Amino acid sequence: MSTPVLTLENVTKRYGDFTAVDQINLSIPQGSVYGFLGPNGAGKTTTIRMILDIIRPDTGHIDVLGHRSAMDVRHRIGYLPEEKGLYKKMKVWAIISYFATLKGMSRSAARHKAFELLERYGLKDFAESSIESLSKGMGQKVQVLASIAHEPELVILDEPFSGLDPVNQEVLEQLIKDLSANGQTVIFSTHIMQHAERLCQRLLLITQGRKVFDGTVSEAHAIIPRRVVLETRGDIHSVRQLDGVLSVQEQPPDDGSARANGTRQWELYVKEQADPQQILQHCFENGVSLSRFDFTQASLHDVFVHLVGKEAREHNFR
Amino acid sequence: MRVTLLIAWREFMENVKTKGFWIGVLLVPIVFFLIFHISSRLATATPTRYFMLIDQSGEYGGAVATAISREHQRQVMQEFMRYLQANRVDMGGAPPPQAPANQLDQLMDDFGNDEVSALDDWLSNGGLDMALQMARPYLREDAPPFTPPRRQFIAIDPPVDLDTSAPPQTIVEYMRPYLNGERRLQHDGTAVPLFALILVPANVAGDVVRPDSLERLMLSDGTPTGVQYWAANLTDTRLSNAIQGSLNNTIRQQEFAAQGIDIQAVRDIQRTRLPLSRLDPGKQLGEAEVSMADTFRQWAPMGFVYLIFISLMQSVQYLLSNTIEEKSNRIIEVLLASVTPGELMMGKLLGIGATGITTILAWITSFFVFLQLYQTVETAAIVQILDVLLSSDLIPYFVFYYLCCYALYAGIFLAIGSLCNTLKEAQSLIMPLIMILIVPVLTMSFIAQDPNGTMARVMSWIPLFTPFTMMNRAAAQPPMVDVVGTTIVLVLTTIAVLWLSGRIFRQGILRTGQPPRIVEVWRMLRRRRV
Repeated sequence: MSTPVLTLENVTKRYGDFTAVDQINLSIPQGSVYGFLGPNGAGKTTTIRMILDIIRPDTGHIDVLGHRSAMDVRHRIGYLPEEKGLYKKMKVWAIISYFATLKGMSRSAARHKAFELLERYGLKDFAESSIESLSKGMGQKVQVLASIAHEPELVILDEPFSGLDPVNQEVLEQLIKDLSANGQTVIFSTHIMQHAERLCQRLLLITQGRKVFDGTVSEAHAIIPRRVVLETRGDIHSVRQLDGVLSVQEQPPDDGSARANGTRQWELYVKEQADPQQILQHCFENGVSLSRFDFTQASLHDVFVHLVGKEAREHNFR
Repeated sequence: MRVTLLIAWREFMENVKTKGFWIGVLLVPIVFFLIFHISSRLATATPTRYFMLIDQSGEYGGAVATAISREHQRQVMQEFMRYLQANRVDMGGAPPPQAPANQLDQLMDDFGNDEVSALDDWLSNGGLDMALQMARPYLREDAPPFTPPRRQFIAIDPPVDLDTSAPPQTIVEYMRPYLNGERRLQHDGTAVPLFALILVPANVAGDVVRPDSLERLMLSDGTPTGVQYWAANLTDTRLSNAIQGSLNNTIRQQEFAAQGIDIQAVRDIQRTRLPLSRLDPGKQLGEAEVSMADTFRQWAPMGFVYLIFISLMQSVQYLLSNTIEEKSNRIIEVLLASVTPGELMMGKLLGIGATGITTILAWITSFFVFLQLYQTVETAAIVQILDVLLSSDLIPYFVFYYLCCYALYAGIFLAIGSLCNTLKEAQSLIMPLIMILIVPVLTMSFIAQDPNGTMARVMSWIPLFTPFTMMNRAAAQPPMVDVVGTTIVLVLTTIAVLWLSGRIFRQGILRTGQPPRIVEVWRMLRRRRV
């Protein structure tokens, strides 16, 4: 792809002794959908705020749309903050139009665009309602529309899916796909891996302010070796010797007791290019009778837990 | 700039659309109108008072009766004068001639200068009937007939079973339940409350105080001396004052007679007077006479000070609540991705400033509408005064000090708003400022009385007080050094405050959690950038 829309070089932000963002490097190509993943408190929002020049990094450089500060190109950026809020007394169309005019659109064009967006994303009937009469989820949809009404080249959505019901999550996914199809670059942060899996071309995973992964979705999947789960009464010693198998581990039963039929469960990590078919065939040929054979691709969720699991758990229980 | 105006426009429209704004705009003229209306009606609205006169001396009862009758005549005369002013044929604005051309002018002149002798005149000339006859040729054709006010004090007979010759102590004991309102007296077939009991003891002549009897007075043992006036209502002093005046008048006439002095000569002497012309050194001779409008002009700055104060209080409300709404709703983050904190702050200042100015204009407009719709003698005088006011140099002062005051305080309040997440937090922070703001309002009347005194001059140099105090002094031609000097200090302070507030605003606006301590604010002021 062409020149990156956004680059971060060694960006660090400290609050006193606490390092919120630690030496982050990033490069986001134009037109891509980019996911920011990470546990709570990982530094996603701080990173986003620095990209928008709402706060300044202590060290490092940020380049947005070819400029040193997002304020210089603020009309070309759309932003949905993590904590959503709108003027309660304003009408739905008026608030979308107001934010668009702040971004440089003319009043009439902004008004026109507001109604067009409301119609396209199913909020037409609420155009004249005031914000305070809307449900939280609907208000959030309005705010998303307000952040993209001025057709920005770069759209940054902080936790856009939180608080939305499944139907509206799909509407929002469609909206992001529409933006991407339109050549607009979208960065969004989320906890929900399915959205990232479905939408993103590239992912950034940060935890405790540090980047732990940056790459495509398939690269992410490759981090966790593919897995085969076997359940058998027989001896799987020979399976260990197979070429594609990296390691074998016995998985104790969940409740700690012996399995009723005396089977044992094994987890095999296999090489990226290994063919699980081969393992199955080997078992068959060597008379290892299987009561279960599972081949699973590691989900993004597993990758997430694998990479940040321990720390994230600590955070959640704190 | 475009963005600043957009923000200002939104702020303005959002404020103007609220109910609170319109209540504020309408309430002030309504309250003003009600106060005006009620106070002008109140005089005639006091209930009829019933009093009882028991004269044991047989000598001073007449004086008391006269006093009460005079009090009524005084009211008739006052009312008549008001009627005359409102319904007299317009003289074409010609000043009243030096020597009153007729008795009517003489009466009006007396009334304006010496009400007591005017009342003597009024009574000796036949009172209302005579005055009406005198005034008839000078009244407008469409003048309504004059209705004299009803009597406010009516004499009532003692209860039949009261021995009016009993010792005063006994009479008072007997009458106490009536005076306390526990019992009522019969008058024309209805039960009425007794307002006052006037008891003239038999030996009252012995209580007359003369210059040589002061010593005896000092040695008084606390028993009541002289005429006894018993009343549960101590605030309405009209009756007691009238009686006191009339009694003294009677006594003195007796003294004059005893000394062989002609009473008529004394009256004439009492009516002799030398006028005192109050002159303004700031004006040319010939027009230097201090008129009512001039006096008003001296006091008018107080009205402006008050107007600044009230308008500022209203703006503070908006500044705080709007900033805190944006902060607590986290709208601020979206805004800051679109506009700079400076633009946001300026937009707010302008928008809410416009709201304040709109309020003031609405008040002034409703005031003029009120004067148009409600034309009486008093309002006619106000219109004249307004003409003087509008042609004076007070208006530019007001505009300048209003704007400076607003910018100065709004900057501070915006900075405070940016540091707080709830109005409650803000309230404790703005308390000291409100205290400071109350000082100029408290000192307002002292400064108006001594506009170039030490207190006024010192306060003028304190920037937080400058707009109020200098406005307060504006009509008194303060020394040039004060006007120019304080203006420079005020403008520089305002700029500095706005600049520093901008710094706090920029950093405070994204803050969450508790409001910062003083030390942290100081750090914010010193830090260059977040």
